[in-house]
Amino acid sequence: MTPEEQPIKPSPPVEIASGPPSRALDPVLAALDPDRARPAHVMESKALKLSFGAKTILDDIEMRFTRGTITALIGPTGSGKSTFLRTLNRMNDKVVGFSHQGDVTLDNQSIWEPNQDLLTLRRRVGMLFQRPNPFPMSIGDNVVAGVKAHRIAKGKQLDVVAERRLREVGLWDAVKDRLGDSPFRLSGGQQQLLCLARALAVGPEVLLLDEPTSALDPISTEMVEGLVRELTPALTIIIVTHNLGQARRVSDGTMFFYDGKLIEHGTTSQMFDDPRCEQTQNYVTGRMG
Amino acid sequence: MVAAPLPRTRHRRAFDILFRLGTYVALLLVIGPAAWILIGVVARAVPHWQWKVLTTPTHGTSGGLENAIIGTLVLMAGVFIIAGTIGVFAGIHLAELARPRRNGKESGGLLRTASDVLSGFPSIVLGYVGYVALVVGLHWGFSLLPALIILSIMVIPYIAKSTESALRQVPTGYREGAEALGMSTGYSLRKVVLKSALPGIVTGLLLALAIACGETAPLIYTAGWTDAVPNLQLTGSHGFAYLTYPIFTFYNQPGQQAHDLAYDAALILVVIVLILLVTSRIIVARTQRHADR
Ligand SMILES: Nc1ncnc2c1ncn2[C@@H]1O[C@H](COP(=O)(O)OP(=O)(O)OP(=O)(O)O)[C@@H](O)[C@H]1O
Ligand SMILES: [Mg+2]
Repeated sequence: MTPEEQPIKPSPPVEIASGPPSRALDPVLAALDPDRARPAHVMESKALKLSFGAKTILDDIEMRFTRGTITALIGPTGSGKSTFLRTLNRMNDKVVGFSHQGDVTLDNQSIWEPNQDLLTLRRRVGMLFQRPNPFPMSIGDNVVAGVKAHRIAKGKQLDVVAERRLREVGLWDAVKDRLGDSPFRLSGGQQQLLCLARALAVGPEVLLLDEPTSALDPISTEMVEGLVRELTPALTIIIVTHNLGQARRVSDGTMFFYDGKLIEHGTTSQMFDDPRCEQTQNYVTGRMG
Repeated sequence: MVAAPLPRTRHRRAFDILFRLGTYVALLLVIGPAAWILIGVVARAVPHWQWKVLTTPTHGTSGGLENAIIGTLVLMAGVFIIAGTIGVFAGIHLAELARPRRNGKESGGLLRTASDVLSGFPSIVLGYVGYVALVVGLHWGFSLLPALIILSIMVIPYIAKSTESALRQVPTGYREGAEALGMSTGYSLRKVVLKSALPGIVTGLLLALAIACGETAPLIYTAGWTDAVPNLQLTGSHGFAYLTYPIFTFYNQPGQQAHDLAYDAALILVVIVLILLVTSRIIVARTQRHADR
């Protein structure tokens, strides 16, 4: 029985112990869920094989990303995590020698389909990079740069969008008096939050994070992690990290990459506490890295 | 007790001091001649300076420089519009569109070769080509258009090169960030990339304009000279005035008046170049308020 077919009846008052209520369990939430008519898996990678020239970087990656969850990508350096992530919003297409087999879908539609508009795809699948990269324009203009490009809002609305997104990432109080200033005078953590606000402003459905906290101090890292948790289940988040503790803290599911192959994936607790493969075991216990 | 510095450390210190000395000497070698020229020109022009030089046209080897000043300003404006547009677009093409192709070769090779060959031509050769092809060949006579065309051809490679290298120095983070937000290549170029490349582009334009207003050889072949105040007639005007002509020729003429005019022209050129410099610095400062530097 799919969630739609379930009769709507008042659910008994339940005590929500911790975390957001799962819509899979609560029929009221399920019926109210705006995403209920959409596929449960927002993105899928189907037998994806990817090469740069003669070199195969990713081999046979089979993965489904459940809507509204956080998935961590872990694995040793050079194992293809970034390459996989950048494939999901087609940032690799222009790399010399790029070729691929298999498919990646967004809402069951191939991202490489001819009628798939690349700019719209990137609006729906946003990205945050390892190094904060604000644009050389004022803080306020940075937040709405993508909004202007996609003509989502204009004029006075832009100020509203800027304030809302800056509040969302918890940066508003720190920058409200200097929206016209250069973003490069902000701390690294604040710059990264600004970039997050900029990415959120265009209303993405999926957010790709490539080691978003590796250049940040512990307190900023904690802030970004907290935000990432809050962004679900409205967004689906895929995060590459070298920080196993971080993967464990924030993610629902974990994928382990090794040498271009997806060795194992599962729920985060299963992956860390009870991995099936020895390689995964070695990696998550720190014996390989 | 402090231990005596190890020989290695002492070596390093000596090297350090030598290195610093070297940079100071180099600095002096650059600033020295510039100051010397500046002082020389000012000292020779100011004592006999008369403001009416600005408002009287040349008469033989006497009179003022009104015609030459207006002529040089018109040439600079023309070069700015023609060479600036073409050069900046060529630079954008080389840096942004002529990316490596799938087969590893770069497109835009032809444009690059043409640009390099062009910048290798001595200016007097270009001037002569202009004389043969435009002044005589097309019966345009000594006039504004052939001068503009030859000057533009001369400086386009500079502008294209400086635009290209300025664009290539734009951090990849800006491009990737714009791309990941779903900006089209053209949009990100206009709103993000060009902004960060602007100082380099403006510097290139400035250099090109300075070259254009300081050139003599190609202008003698294409613009000729006239006492008349220039109008905007493009061809067939029987000569066109500009500031380097009196500097180059009047100095060899007999008579104090001719020499005075030559120094006046030099002073005015120096002032024009200085104004150009200050303006470009202001433009850069105003647009780079949010720069990552
Ligand atoms: N543009 C490219 N051209 C050719 N090879 C590339 C390119 N980008 C990445 N690679 C190769 O692809 C492989 C995977 O790289 P990738 O950056 O995805 O690894 P990663 O898992 O993200 O590593 P890290 O943890 O160090 O970031 C590496 O062997 C790398 O050399
Ligand atoms: Mg990586």
